[in-house]
Amino acid sequence: MDKYECTACGYVYDPAVGDPDNGIAPGTSFEALPDTWVCPQCGVPKDLFVKVG
Amino acid sequence: MNVLIIGNGLAGTLAAKSLRELDPDLGIEVLGEERHPYYPRPNLIEYVAGRLPLEKIFAFPEEWAARQGITLRLGEKVARILPAEKKVETAAGAVLSYDALLIATGARAALPPVPGVDKKGVFVLRTLDDAHDLIAYLEGHRRVAVLGGGLLGLEIARAIRGRGADVEVIEFFDRLLPRQLDPAAAAILRAQFEKTGISVRLRATTKEILGDSGGVRGLRFESGETLGTEAVVIAAGIKPEIGLAADAGLQIGRGVLVDDRMKTSGPGIFAAGDAAEHRGRIYGIIPAAFEQARVAAANMLGQDKPYGGTVPFNTLKVAGLYLTSAGEIDAEGPGFESLVHSDPAAGLYKKIVLQDGRLAGAIWMGTKKGAAEISRLVALKRDVGTIKQALLEDDFDFTEIP
Ligand SMILES: Cc1cc2nc3c(=O)[nH]c(=O)nc-3n(C[C@H](O)[C@H](O)[C@H](O)COP(=O)(O)OP(=O)(O)OC[C@H]3O[C@@H](n4cnc5c(N)ncnc54)[C@H](O)[C@@H]3O)c2cc1C
Ligand SMILES: [Zn+2]
Repeated sequence: MDKYECTACGYVYDPAVGDPDNGIAPGTSFEALPDTWVCPQCGVPKDLFVKVG
Repeated sequence: MNVLIIGNGLAGTLAAKSLRELDPDLGIEVLGEERHPYYPRPNLIEYVAGRLPLEKIFAFPEEWAARQGITLRLGEKVARILPAEKKVETAAGAVLSYDALLIATGARAALPPVPGVDKKGVFVLRTLDDAHDLIAYLEGHRRVAVLGGGLLGLEIARAIRGRGADVEVIEFFDRLLPRQLDPAAAAILRAQFEKTGISVRLRATTKEILGDSGGVRGLRFESGETLGTEAVVIAAGIKPEIGLAADAGLQIGRGVLVDDRMKTSGPGIFAAGDAAEHRGRIYGIIPAAFEQARVAAANMLGQDKPYGGTVPFNTLKVAGLYLTSAGEIDAEGPGFESLVHSDPAAGLYKKIVLQDGRLAGAIWMGTKKGAAEISRLVALKRDVGTIKQALLEDDFDFTEIP
């Protein structure tokens, strides 16, 4: 599963880690994140993330 | 225990979030001058460009603060801090007590001392209200000059171009993104930018913003040249909001001075984000505001958590080019060594800067392959003496580096 990076702040979403602080279990792919999920570091929406492989 | 936070930008909001995670019983109150709940400022670019609808600008659902037990007082400006009494006074006259206080007042857009900056049609883009004003004005005014060829100026130019307006970027330096790019990379970027229909004027010092009662009509430069324009957007850096701290007698520099615990010189008073100056530095970027807010939150609760600084890191996509720039990108002198791999026609430019064999900085433009990895290596100041040439190859496998 691909990692995605926030173009605003550099935070990297790693599916292996998920985002447990915000209710996202490890193993959740970026595509499977809900539309309401935002960058845990700065709050921008998914649209502002790019794939980093 | 009761914590007060002045400012509901990123630092104030993330500090409140951290404080709540650390202590479920803490009283947390946030005072924000803006009428809006927290939104990330990068969203303003997307909003101006017309790519993000208003309802997607805010980071958290409306009921978030209440659910977290955070008292959010929006549209309330703090007028005074009374350090001896551990109280703050709002502009409306309310007096609130604190056990610990966080100054997260951020920064405002700096305005150059140019005659005419107060004319109708001159804008900055810092807040959502600024964005609304700008968008409304662009409806009837299609020629725009952006003062400042830095990161924010270019993002604003691209966003406005996205609305179909004619845009010219005015930079007084001899290149675009002087902080992120060296001259060779900046020339490549400029060419790519011009392909999207945005004009770029370098080495231009604006002497006056021309106009009449109807608003802006043009710019006059030091060279004597003029440029006709109907609107001006200023992106000339930031000015930290330090007035409250200064009036309260706290130590200030360009920002509010903090130590490695994000503590100011005042008892129980901390600062974080664009308003804070740490070891002589005001970062003005999200990752720093985020880290500082978390460190401040921990120390406000009596933990001992140090902040050692943030490695500047910037990724953006301008004129279709990915750009990553980290650390020292144009350092010269004894001990420094630079290596470059470039293909101007393709918009590709990769450079690493070594200091005594260790990675001190990098520019990665025109590709994102290896960009995250190279900036991580810069952050770690890795010794890459033996693989420095190979690092720049397009097919370099970063997983070879542990
Ligand atoms: C358009 C734009 C795009 C950006 N893009 C990026 C990006 O892509 N990546 C990046 O890293 N950074 C970016 N930045 C910078 C980033 O937004 C800032 O570093 C960040 O907002 C700093 O957060 P802060 O909370 O310290 O300050 P601010 O966001 O400035 O928030 C401070 C808040 O405090 C309030 N306040 C001030 N004084 C008072 C008072 N007396 N009483 C009550 N409230 C008060 C202000 O109204 C404001 O809402 C961008 C900035 C802008 C303007
Ligand atoms: Zn982010």
